[in-house]
Amino acid sequence: MNMNSLEAVRQAGACDTVVLDCGLTVKVKSMPDYSGVFAIYGTRFGSVDLDFELDGKKIHLPAGVAHFLEHKMFESEEGDAFEKFAKTGASANAYTSFDKTCYLFAATQQVEESLDILLSMVGKPYFTEATIEKEQGIIGQEIKMYDDSPDWRILTALLGCMYHNHPVRYDVAGTVESIAKITPEMLYDCCKAFYNPGNMVLAVAGNITTQQVLDACERANLPKTSVKAKRLPINEPENIACSRKEFAMSLAKPCLGVGFKEVPVEGVKPEIICDLITELICGGMTPLYRELYDKSLVNPGFDGEFLVLDGCTCFMFTGETDQPDLVREMLLKEIERQRQEGVDEELFTLCKNQMYGELLQDLENIEDAATALAGSFYRRRSLADELEALASLTKEEVDAMLQKMLKPERSATVVIWPEEEEANK
Amino acid sequence: MQREQIANGVYLNSLPAEKFNRCRLSIHFRFPASRELATDHALMPLVLERGYAGCPDMTELSRRLARLYGAALTVSTGMQGANRVLSISISGIKDRYALESEALSAAYAEILLGVALDPYFENGLFSEEAVRIEKMTLTRQLESEINDKRLYCVRQARRRFYGDSPAGIERDGYLADLPKVTCETLTNAYQKMLREATIEVMVLGADEAAVKSALVEKLAGIDRQPVCLPENTFMPAQPTAAFEEKMELVQAKLCMMFTLDRIAEPQELNAFRLAMAVFGGCSTSRLFVNVREKQSLCYYCGSRFTSASACMMVDSGVEPANANKAEQAILKELDQLVNGEISDEELENARRGILSGMESVGDSLSSLENWYFGEIMRGTEICTPEESAKQLREVTKEDVRRILGSFRYSLSYLVTAKEDAE
Repeated sequence: MNMNSLEAVRQAGACDTVVLDCGLTVKVKSMPDYSGVFAIYGTRFGSVDLDFELDGKKIHLPAGVAHFLEHKMFESEEGDAFEKFAKTGASANAYTSFDKTCYLFAATQQVEESLDILLSMVGKPYFTEATIEKEQGIIGQEIKMYDDSPDWRILTALLGCMYHNHPVRYDVAGTVESIAKITPEMLYDCCKAFYNPGNMVLAVAGNITTQQVLDACERANLPKTSVKAKRLPINEPENIACSRKEFAMSLAKPCLGVGFKEVPVEGVKPEIICDLITELICGGMTPLYRELYDKSLVNPGFDGEFLVLDGCTCFMFTGETDQPDLVREMLLKEIERQRQEGVDEELFTLCKNQMYGELLQDLENIEDAATALAGSFYRRRSLADELEALASLTKEEVDAMLQKMLKPERSATVVIWPEEEEANK
Repeated sequence: MQREQIANGVYLNSLPAEKFNRCRLSIHFRFPASRELATDHALMPLVLERGYAGCPDMTELSRRLARLYGAALTVSTGMQGANRVLSISISGIKDRYALESEALSAAYAEILLGVALDPYFENGLFSEEAVRIEKMTLTRQLESEINDKRLYCVRQARRRFYGDSPAGIERDGYLADLPKVTCETLTNAYQKMLREATIEVMVLGADEAAVKSALVEKLAGIDRQPVCLPENTFMPAQPTAAFEEKMELVQAKLCMMFTLDRIAEPQELNAFRLAMAVFGGCSTSRLFVNVREKQSLCYYCGSRFTSASACMMVDSGVEPANANKAEQAILKELDQLVNGEISDEELENARRGILSGMESVGDSLSSLENWYFGEIMRGTEICTPEESAKQLREVTKEDVRRILGSFRYSLSYLVTAKEDAE
């Protein structure tokens, strides 16, 4: 192995990490050859955080609050954050996932001013009944847009089938009904619980120095808070909630989803193995994919993905097919074959190679680099940890994991039929 | 960017990309779109991407790319006014990161040139098996158009807007023509493309001398007769037509098409950029702020301009019951920009946003390639982002008003809920 290459990768992944007195984790990757700066200000608060204890009080949220709050954070008494960013030329956005909410901008000019806006966005929350009502209309539209997306519907339905109680079963944006229950008090409670610096990260990459970022943090005068929300445990049985669900939409071809609920895993190596398993079962290099493709049983987009959150690990294989039950059967058969025979040695090495390239790719541009920095905070591991885990991973470890995972008895199937076919059934 | 003609109608364009971890190589074939060959042209990327003479098997090619640390190969086609572009690109990590000191960039060039210029033939034709399987793939793709309602609505609007004009030739071909596509027709279409297309090779962060010599060698056996590419075009103004289609859905989709009623001149490009940003192209635009945020009439609502066919499109996702209200609100915003006030603040906010984008073109391999290939396709003198930024700074409020006032509303296409679903 070429040690110079590994050193070059380590250099490409190097960054500064500082934890401020207020508790905020700051991660900076200075990229002086670049023109722009990409910054992410994120909190460990996502759609699955529905039950927690704050100041001795138990709080239960309706589905969709984290995403709702993300929308509302762009507003303050002094005006809209989009308008403020527009004055600096920065392009701003935000997103919410199952376990986090991130606010971000990309800029080439007035970067310090944009950092000031970003760091002030979540510090002065401002909610009224009237502004909440207006947002319910906008988010209601967003929810309806996703209702028409078969890709989204199949993932949501699969999670709903696999999980009894874990909030991963709810759509990130909630439903029109659940967001109607949101009150200003709920939003203020969430800010207090999760939008404190100790629960947040500022990840910045691009043409900027660590000192410039730290100076911005100092200007922001972030409060040092001792508030700690305690997430309440989720009582989730090992078995699945429902083994099959079918429904109809305006589609040309049926869509199939097969999900496998796993015992939750933690740590860098198990996550890398989960990632590899999806490739080893039905990735573009596998015999299963080739057979499905050559027989035109699936569309080219048929693939697998995995999800690892606190208390939740699962796999989801999805795609369009005329013969959902046949494809499901072929998938289960291939999983069983690999469980019996072990995974293909050559394919295992190729997948590792591929993953190494992907790690490097994630460090190349300012957006990916900032995203990787924020990701290392959320996943509590560095690029070096990932590289080390990947390098030391053996086929035997994957084979051992496969003995415990992707079991048919913990699988759920979802089929979305085109309306006409459903009507003729 | 260094640009050099290396054969008849073949250009090598190289861009320094030292700071990136990866390098990128592309070949773009540009040729007049043909209605007759549209389905062959749509099938071609699928067949080319399966393999080439040096690596005919699709799975083996995937494995080869994985061996090169997950190099990414894409073959795609797109429409640019009345021209079609077939693009083959490969990107992967640079040699300095290879764990076993492999010559990665030489391997990328070999795959790229193989896929583009040395496809896998059986008895002088594309393989029967590959054509049969990919015809099924394309059939599925065409039949599934309805799955993405937003895209479906946009395509239906485009079909009505362009009619039989060459700019309206379907990028993905025609379902009805697929049975007529054979190994022979596909091979003929490919050979014609090799002969007649203008070929643009882009080299970003790789050894262009090595690419050049390999390319010259591959081209030596081809009888090159490049044809002229059609100029930019436009659709004439017409009385506004409204189309509506009903299906089971939750959110309706509304697509509005406007024509400039003349050719868009290249020197106006930055005025169009600013006009779009002010009207519906950014988060401070009239459509975003007034129609989406203030009136909550749609979840998304944006405008974009296609200079090759001088057309502006506004597409939006709306409540079925609010579709008419949303359409009127969009038209009102356009009217108020043309006949009312444009504030200095909104103009400068939009300008700053575009300038920021131009300044960061050099920060990613794909945006660098997109910028310069876009400039090449325009056919005028190639502008750097800095030169374009200078022109953009000179665009005035009156330019924006004049541009937006030139559009004529041609048609709307609404995909909405069936009565019982509302």
